[in-house]
Amino acid sequence: MSQSSLRSPMTAVSSRMRAYFAAVDRSAESATIFDPAKHGMFNLEAPPSPWVDLGWIGNFARFCGTTIEVAGAGSPVAPVRQCRSSLTGRVEFDFFEWGKLQMALAGGAQHMNVLDADPNSEAQPSGGTPRAALALLPGSTASELVLGTGAVNSFAVDDLLAVDTDYQQQTGYIGTGLSAAYVRDPQDVLRDVNYVRRVTFNVGRVAGKTASSVLLAQPLLGGAPAPSAAAQKVVAFIDREGGSFFQEWSALFVHQEQSGGRICFYYPRLSPSAPHANDQTGYEREHRVAISSPLGAIALHASFLALPYTDRNDNETVLCYRAYFPAPGAAIY
Amino acid sequence: MQFAKDSFYLALRTRLAALNPARGVNVNGVNRTAVLVAENEPAGSFRPLPNAFYINWGSARAVEGFNQGSRPLLSLDCAISYYSTGTCESAVDWGRVLGALDTELLCISHPAFTRKLDFTQSPSADLGTNVFWSPPVVSDLQKAGGDGLFQHMAQLVVYFFPEADLP
Repeated sequence: MSQSSLRSPMTAVSSRMRAYFAAVDRSAESATIFDPAKHGMFNLEAPPSPWVDLGWIGNFARFCGTTIEVAGAGSPVAPVRQCRSSLTGRVEFDFFEWGKLQMALAGGAQHMNVLDADPNSEAQPSGGTPRAALALLPGSTASELVLGTGAVNSFAVDDLLAVDTDYQQQTGYIGTGLSAAYVRDPQDVLRDVNYVRRVTFNVGRVAGKTASSVLLAQPLLGGAPAPSAAAQKVVAFIDREGGSFFQEWSALFVHQEQSGGRICFYYPRLSPSAPHANDQTGYEREHRVAISSPLGAIALHASFLALPYTDRNDNETVLCYRAYFPAPGAAIY
Repeated sequence: MQFAKDSFYLALRTRLAALNPARGVNVNGVNRTAVLVAENEPAGSFRPLPNAFYINWGSARAVEGFNQGSRPLLSLDCAISYYSTGTCESAVDWGRVLGALDTELLCISHPAFTRKLDFTQSPSADLGTNVFWSPPVVSDLQKAGGDGLFQHMAQLVVYFFPEADLP
């Protein structure tokens, strides 16, 4: 067998991209870290905790608006130095899958759970006065909610539930584990005891029941419920055009490594923004992806502005990271 | 090129064995997972067995736009044919079995890549690149021989970089 001296292939081929998001601690402005040394080649079906898999995405595009100033000197003036005078980075894509988190990220403002309403309540576009919440009992976890014998019969298999604490007139970010909204004045939310559960990301679907508890199909995003948490049935999700709250999440996008090398884009802090193609007439919130006329999938269009992050390794302010994991045996340059 | 063919074949065979261990055929007294390569079977008296995937290799070419330089990206046409005589004597369920075979083929085609290995040595050697392929497109029913049977044929294109080691 003869040995060739050809350089090994370095072409990156990918047909699909997958998105993962994780919470930013809004009070501390602390991002979730994606460490490529620890997690780089993770199984795309099982992302490292606490990253949440939001499925395959399409029409992914990154935009760089960073400006570079050139300082000149001499006669004639010649460039002698450059500096980055402003940092701007944006990213846009379409979610092909719909869910609570996908809607919240594409919508951008506080995302609401429509709580199962009392039939006699006044109609409201985001849901009227809900039926009373059921308090959780000790021993509840992110996957099993202990309600007690009898009370557990209030929920059926396949029900959607919102699980969080009662609103207790606090101001600031609310939501257990994940910041779901910001309350400036309790009167803004009518001191509604259910308001936290109206916006919480801690939602789940009942997959099974025991004599005293319900078992969730997916664990609550915010982890184990607080001791004073309660559960209410959810019938739908709502986002709205408008609102004062801005979501902020850490994001990771991965090109599936069909030719062997993996490319990842990590954004420590992303906040919803207007799309790049914004103009006088606005833009499409949803994109229609043709399947075969007249069938089409409805994709949620999402657009984000990258917020700054200070890399502790060298104290540089950056917006995003592009990581490349060469295929085994691939040439490096 | 042979390494790419072998790697593709073994990827499908391994995935099928995991997905449906019961999908096997008996070839000359040997039980095998029901993925076979037509060009590797004995010539002359070769006749495809029912309920088995037969990989048929077609023409190869350099991919336009990636055919420059020392290591072009090559493509290889591939057709996977299969038919069924059903599971009962009347063969009334042959369509259902063909549908199950369709589903299994589409499942084992994902993810649409695998490492390219040299299986001529033991243990097999990693050749440093991936073999990847397009999604299979399953054709309409076609006549399978002269027995009044029908087959499905899935078309796809397999891509790979040629080996550095030339056998």
